[in-house]
Formats: sequence, C-alpha cells, structure tokens
Amino acid sequence: MKLSAQTTTIVAALAVFVGLPILFYGLGDAPRRTLLKEVISVATLLAFAAMLGQFFMARSNTLLLSVFKPPQIQKVHKYIAYTAVGVILLHPVLIVLPRALEGGVRPWDAFVTMITTFDSLGVVLGLVAWVLLLVLSVTAFFRKPIIKRLSTHYRGWRYVHGGLAVSFTVLALWHSIALGRHTDAPMAALFLALALIGFGMLVKLYMPARPKQPVPAQTQAGAAS
Amino acid sequence: MTIKSINGCIGCEECVKSCPCDVIRMEGGRAVITYPADCQICHLCRMYCPVDAIEMSPEKSIPVVVPWG
Repeated sequence: MKLSAQTTTIVAALAVFVGLPILFYGLGDAPRRTLLKEVISVATLLAFAAMLGQFFMARSNTLLLSVFKPPQIQKVHKYIAYTAVGVILLHPVLIVLPRALEGGVRPWDAFVTMITTFDSLGVVLGLVAWVLLLVLSVTAFFRKPIIKRLSTHYRGWRYVHGGLAVSFTVLALWHSIALGRHTDAPMAALFLALALIGFGMLVKLYMPARPKQPVPAQTQAGAAS
Repeated sequence: MTIKSINGCIGCEECVKSCPCDVIRMEGGRAVITYPADCQICHLCRMYCPVDAIEMSPEKSIPVVVPWG
C-alpha cells in the first residue's frame, strides 16, 4: 500500500503530537490516581502538545505548505485553537474540580489557595501564561477589527500573534517543567524540542537574511575598466 | 513509610498546617516529608493539598471517608 504525502504527514503529526506524549505519560513513574484525574491529566498534556503543534500549523512550515493548501492548514489551526486553548484555559479549574467528589478541601477553597500562592515561581509563571493565552485567544478571535486598526495591517497582526504565542509557550513550558506531575525528563525534552523547532521556524520566517547592500555605481564602473 | 511523596508542591503550606504529627516541614519554599515515621495515615495533608500533590503508600492507605458514607 502506497501512502499519499498528505496521509504520511497526518500520521507523522499524530505520532509526534499525540503518540509521543501518551507514550511518555504511560512510561512515566508519576503515581496513578482516579480515572477522572488521569483523564484530565492526559487531556491537558495533549492540549499543550497541540498548542506546540500550532507553530507547525502555520505558514512558517514550508514542508506542510508543499503538501496542504493554506486554507486547509488555517482551518486545522483554528480548530486546534478552539479545543486546545479551551482545555488550557480551563486547566486551573480542572485541577480542583475532582475535589468536589472527595472529602477534604472544597474546590473553590483549593482554587483560591492555588492562585494566591505567589511564593511559588511555578504558580506565578502559570498565572502569567494563562493571562497571555487569554490575550492571545481574544486577539485571535477579534483579529479582523484589530488588523484594520494596525498600521501594518495583517503582517503587523502576525507579529503580535507570533510574539504572544512565543511568550505564552516559554512561560507555560517553564511552569509545566517546574510543577507538572507528568513533565518528567522525556516529556520535558519532547516539549522543549517541539517549542525550539517551532520558534526556529518563526525566526526563519520573520527574520530573513538581510538584503545585500547595493554596490555603488563608481565601484562597478572601476571594476569593469 | 506511610506518606510516600510530594510531587508538584506549590508551597502553600496547607499540608504543614493540617498535619497533626508534624511530619511535613517547609524547606526552600516547598513541603518536604521530614518525619515519615510519625505519619498516622490520617490523610489530612492529602485531603487539604489544593493541587493534589501528596501521595500515600497504597499498602498503608485507609479508605477516604466521604460525606455519603
């Protein structure tokens, strides 16, 4: 059976952004908890991997552009944004939600304690990353009126979107490595590698090689004679 | 050993306050199991940790009392 380039790309993307996080989760030595908590953990890991995948679902990925049409990539980018961003934005609530089914601290009290513990760098990073993601998603949702107001139009908005995405990813990655239950060395290495490749592709797209200085006409004439 | 590990501590000190046997102490802004032999398996630290960071040894655990019995 001969696979098409599109099928191969989709399978490779699923293997990297779904298969590997689940594999590392399964091989990790984090203590197993109730089914609900484990489902929430896996959903959060996959959502974060999908967020990293957004760097690859963009015009910076020339390989993908040679296989899929830009509107197809845009559509997948948008669908991932609606689902993964939703899970990540709900992440602070999802941490405390299972407490409603247990004795001990109530979900609201746990939530307040969690988001007001500013002594922990991991919590502060997570809070800032959450706010950045909120700004990222709101500006993406209202991109049309924002693009109209920007003097640089669509290109300017792309800079804002890319900058916010990189800022969010750096803080969220740091937060997950500092506090994440399942972010052990292999999972951290995977997330870090995906983030660095994604950043590299953005840099390559937005910082092209500086154009060569035009050679003065006199020098050209001198060289010719 | 009864209380097994603390993974993903945010340093809120709720476990330190809830432990009746002074098993957990704060070190460098994080909760650390300092006197594990004193643990009475009351589960209060685990129940009051807002981020569910505390794990108990399963072989020594007792069923958690819930309001519906």
